[in-house]
Amino acid sequence: MKSMVTFERVSKVYGEKTNQTAALKDVSFSVNTGEFVAIIGPSGSGKSTFLSMAGLLLSPTSGNVFIENEIITNLKEKDRANLRLQKIGFVFQASNLIPYLTVMDQLLLIGKLSRSRKDTKQKADRLLEKLGLSHRKHHFPSQLSGGEKQRVAIARAWMNDPQIILADEPTASLDSKRGREVVEMLASEIKRKEKAGIIVTHDERVLDLCDRVLMIKDGELQIG
Amino acid sequence: MFLAIREIWYSKLRYFLIGLIMVLITWLVFMVAGLANGLSADNASAIDRMNADYFVMQKDAEGKLNRSQISKIQWKGVSQQTKDKNATPIGMKMTSVLKLGTTKKMDITAFAVDINGFIAPKVIVGSSIKFLAKGEIVIDQSLEQEGIRIGDWMVDSNSEKKWKVVGYTTNNSYSHSPVIYMNQATWIDWTKQDSYNAVVLRGMESQKIKLNKELELVSKKRVLQSTPGYKEEQGSLEMMIAFLFIIASFIQAVFFYVITLQKSHQFGVLKAIGATTKYLVRSVVGQIIVIASISVLVSIGFTYATSLILPDSVPFILEKSTFAGFSVLMIMVSLLGALLSIYQITKVEAIDAIGRVE
Repeated sequence: MKSMVTFERVSKVYGEKTNQTAALKDVSFSVNTGEFVAIIGPSGSGKSTFLSMAGLLLSPTSGNVFIENEIITNLKEKDRANLRLQKIGFVFQASNLIPYLTVMDQLLLIGKLSRSRKDTKQKADRLLEKLGLSHRKHHFPSQLSGGEKQRVAIARAWMNDPQIILADEPTASLDSKRGREVVEMLASEIKRKEKAGIIVTHDERVLDLCDRVLMIKDGELQIG
Repeated sequence: MFLAIREIWYSKLRYFLIGLIMVLITWLVFMVAGLANGLSADNASAIDRMNADYFVMQKDAEGKLNRSQISKIQWKGVSQQTKDKNATPIGMKMTSVLKLGTTKKMDITAFAVDINGFIAPKVIVGSSIKFLAKGEIVIDQSLEQEGIRIGDWMVDSNSEKKWKVVGYTTNNSYSHSPVIYMNQATWIDWTKQDSYNAVVLRGMESQKIKLNKELELVSKKRVLQSTPGYKEEQGSLEMMIAFLFIIASFIQAVFFYVITLQKSHQFGVLKAIGATTKYLVRSVVGQIIVIASISVLVSIGFTYATSLILPDSVPFILEKSTFAGFSVLMIMVSLLGALLSIYQITKVEAIDAIGRVE
């Protein structure tokens, strides 16, 4: 067990001097390999900010963020994009698939972006098979149901075999049965392949699938 | 190109419509350019088709053939410096004539040439120009439509001089008026003076010729551009072409800017999953190149098809170099229009993908 994502006294402040709002206050946190952590909290509590920083989409105002014990606070945008591509898999709220790509192309795009031509096709085939989407390979997102879309998004997040899986309200647009299925898929993959996972959710019915539940309230992290 | 092509294919109608607008604009550019070329050739084809490189003219004539006057002494001075008969005098006068026995006047331009010199025109109907005698003229074939036949007599409406038509040439006009050719004896008899308008030179050594202060060497191109009406005509057509290019640039700019704005969330998602700004910019630029290139190719086809059905009386000439130049320019201008979208893409942040429902 080693720590994959570490926050060291991280704060994030939005706005200019006069009307500053602190989205995160002095948060220290760490998630290890094989661990699936849920972040809950009311809207506006700083959950999205937290996830964005773990996913290298935002830089902290103070404090440091480490990925696999490497400090990434001061990296350039280009290097961050590259690191996101290599190490992090995102599953967004409402799937956020690219509307003009077929299910297969959604996955192949990741291969294109990371320039690894070799066996991306077989890998995509295997993933779709595993997630029960083989028959939907040549369909566009608009032809899929909500659950199918979210499963494609998971397949996309797994494409580069990332060490870290970040999920932003993945169950928001699904009914409770489908929602639970999606989180189960994430949890079992994280366990089996020793990855680190963080899920931001409102959905209390899936919390039992997570190893730890953390609560953010007014920018401060509390043990749930 | 992975994204570019797939998106065009998915949103066929959208890209077809912008492509169609581009085709129409490019088509119009080619048509106006062809017309400008055609009119240019039609305007002063007698000069354009002349096997000449330079003209010696009076300095204060500013390249205008009708304003210049060269005396016999000046002409001899120039001709002594050339060999192989590479210099020949030309007299020209714009006037109006009528067919003997009728009252309908026609504007023409008279060229007086050495019938053995290199600017003597080729006669297509009638005897060779070498046998053109005093009082005889060879006329441009377009006058045939005005009812003038070989053997008819034409009268200069000012001097009442009469000339006999003995042959036709083809495609010889000056300032959109048909040219009639006469020999030097006819010219002297008509103008009552032994002088010309210019000396026409051919060959590379023309530039070495020493001229006195009153004279200057004028290129054939400048003589063409100084033809009455030439600049005004070409200028207005060129302005139209320039505007069409500007319009094309703006249309592309607005279209791609609007769809880029519409897709900014999508670009955010792409950035979040690891696409670099460079990759996304390449994708949009790729789309523009694809759309612009296809549009240009289609409009070249349309232009060619149109040129086949245009009546002969419409002056329309398009050369490969014009096609090539304007095609490249159209693609460049389209890319210029893309700058706005590129700026927009660089502004999109990956964070936009988080916490928003599409």
